[in-house]
Amino acid sequence: MLRAENLSKRYRQGEKEVVALLGFTYAFPRGATAVVGPSGSGKTTLLNLLAGFDLPSEGGVYLDGLALHQLPEDERARVRLKHMGFVFQQWNLIPTLTAWENVAFPLLLAGRPRKERQEQAFALLERVGLAHRLHHLPSRLSGGEQQRVALARALALDPPVLFADEPTGNLDAESREQVAALLFEAGKERTLILVTHDLELAARAERILYLKGGRLAREEVVQPAG
Amino acid sequence: MEILHLVLRNLLARPVRSLLTLLGVLIATASMVLFLSFGEGLRRSLFQELSRVGPAIQVVPEGTEGLGFGGYPEITPRQLAALQEAGQALGVRALVPTLFLARGGFDPQTSFFFQGLPPGVGPDLLYPGVRAREGRLVPTEGGAVVGGKVAKRSQLSLGSPLRLSPQVGLKVVGILEESGGLADNLIFVPLAPLQQVLGTENYSAVLVALNPGQKAEEVARALEAAVPGLKAQTTGEVMRFAERALRISDLVRFGISLVALIVGGLLVANTVMMSVYERIREFGVMRALGARRGFIFRLVVLEALLLALLGGTLGLALGGVVSFAINLYTLDQVGLALSAVTPRLSLFALLVALLLGLLAGLLPAYHASRIPVVEALGRV
Ligand SMILES: Nc1ncnc2c1ncn2[C@@H]1O[C@H](COP(=O)(O)OP(=O)(O)OP(=O)(O)O)[C@@H](O)[C@H]1O
Ligand SMILES: [Mg+2]
Repeated sequence: MLRAENLSKRYRQGEKEVVALLGFTYAFPRGATAVVGPSGSGKTTLLNLLAGFDLPSEGGVYLDGLALHQLPEDERARVRLKHMGFVFQQWNLIPTLTAWENVAFPLLLAGRPRKERQEQAFALLERVGLAHRLHHLPSRLSGGEQQRVALARALALDPPVLFADEPTGNLDAESREQVAALLFEAGKERTLILVTHDLELAARAERILYLKGGRLAREEVVQPAG
Repeated sequence: MEILHLVLRNLLARPVRSLLTLLGVLIATASMVLFLSFGEGLRRSLFQELSRVGPAIQVVPEGTEGLGFGGYPEITPRQLAALQEAGQALGVRALVPTLFLARGGFDPQTSFFFQGLPPGVGPDLLYPGVRAREGRLVPTEGGAVVGGKVAKRSQLSLGSPLRLSPQVGLKVVGILEESGGLADNLIFVPLAPLQQVLGTENYSAVLVALNPGQKAEEVARALEAAVPGLKAQTTGEVMRFAERALRISDLVRFGISLVALIVGGLLVANTVMMSVYERIREFGVMRALGARRGFIFRLVVLEALLLALLGGTLGLALGGVVSFAINLYTLDQVGLALSAVTPRLSLFALLVALLLGLLAGLLPAYHASRIPVVEALGRV
């Protein structure tokens, strides 16, 4: 389980201090949790702290009791590799690697042998409906296909936590639907944290967190978990 | 898709840029290899030559050590007499005063190198194994014995006239077989006409041949003690001296090629730095997925190393080819392989290329691996 405790992030900007997140406390249960809020409300900041991309000014992040914010950078990377998957808004993929090689990248980092990497990448791409795009470079894929490759890659090491920051932000309606369906499907047995502007998309999650001015303003349970 | 594969992919993704960089390293390495190959070639021919030379000791005026026999003619007849006396007492086999004269220009085609020998002494005493192909082996009064290569090059045959100066002329009385050594390029003449042309009664060197069992080192020291102002050097001493001189010239030539190397290194650094800047977002994604900083560091350093090593290897090959071509020419012209790409030179060149790549890669790699993940992810 992923838990944030009194999480705050302040940025110095010359004389002024910007408070991007203030006193955020929440325990993310299994299932999909959407994080919504107006631009600048601290959604990306929250995700950065939860994933260990950045360190909080105050408070802490605990993954199954492990204090993530107290680990050095490379240790946090290890935790991410083993326990977290990511889908960003765009430019997710390594442009010089083909679809299957992108999916196999976390497996490479984890030191899996080549044969296993290839087999697993092929299987994952088949699962997201891209069995016919294995050897395409990202530049040869549509936006929706790219996001599905990114999702397949996020699932490569079967992590318990899945992050997505505006995963459908740049997609047309049809691709959006495909990606969303796959994402929520994958989020069922994991902790999925979905940052989005899109309230329609957020409504498909089990819980919605409303951020405002860096604070957790409201929690709404859409469907009871389980 | 191991890490090297990843690096290769990236280099191939920008083929023109990679190729240009490769070319820069290639040329830098090739020019270094070529520069240094002259030292290696000189070393090789010199030592081959010296180890073939008959006399174990060369007596030269003090201060001209190491110049071989090419110094100014400064050994006076009195000194020669003293040497002969001392040599007799020591029981040496032969004591041969000699003199050198170069005629002609820079172009080996039109240059002649004369070596003067005392009456009755043939070139075989100084260059063991030398044989006459036609005519005589030992120069006569007014008659010269011509090395095989010179004869061929200048189309000399028995009876051809040779001019040492407007006043002094000789006739060819013998032509030597080609032996692959220095003698091929020399013309052996009696001492007297050379002394006449040079306007001196002196000699440039006295070569001492030893009897079996005699120790070169001991005889050399005894000769020096007997005749002040002269230096008696054994072949070993000449080799050591030449090695020292060659090493200095190696340094000078390496210094010159360092300019090209630095340019090549900067090219690599520039290419890698550019590719790092273009890929900051990519590195951010990799680290978000769980790559550690060391992984990014290795990725970038390997890119530089690969460029440098590939360029270095191709440069070494090019240097070897050019060196071969130069040797074809100089072997034909002066009978010496001037350039040699020896195994140790090849190894050195590859190490220099690797070091170059490492140096060029370290800074971009450090930079790439240190960017905060959030910042890297923020870039597109
Ligand atoms: N590196 C930074 N330096 C200074 N201020 C920052 C920095 N990053 C974010 N902020 C500020 O923190 C606040 C929250 O930013 P954040 O990116 O988390 O918002 P968001 O909810 O993700 O917005 P959006 O919906 O536009 O993506 C904003 O006021 C932003 O200007
Ligand atoms: Mg945001």
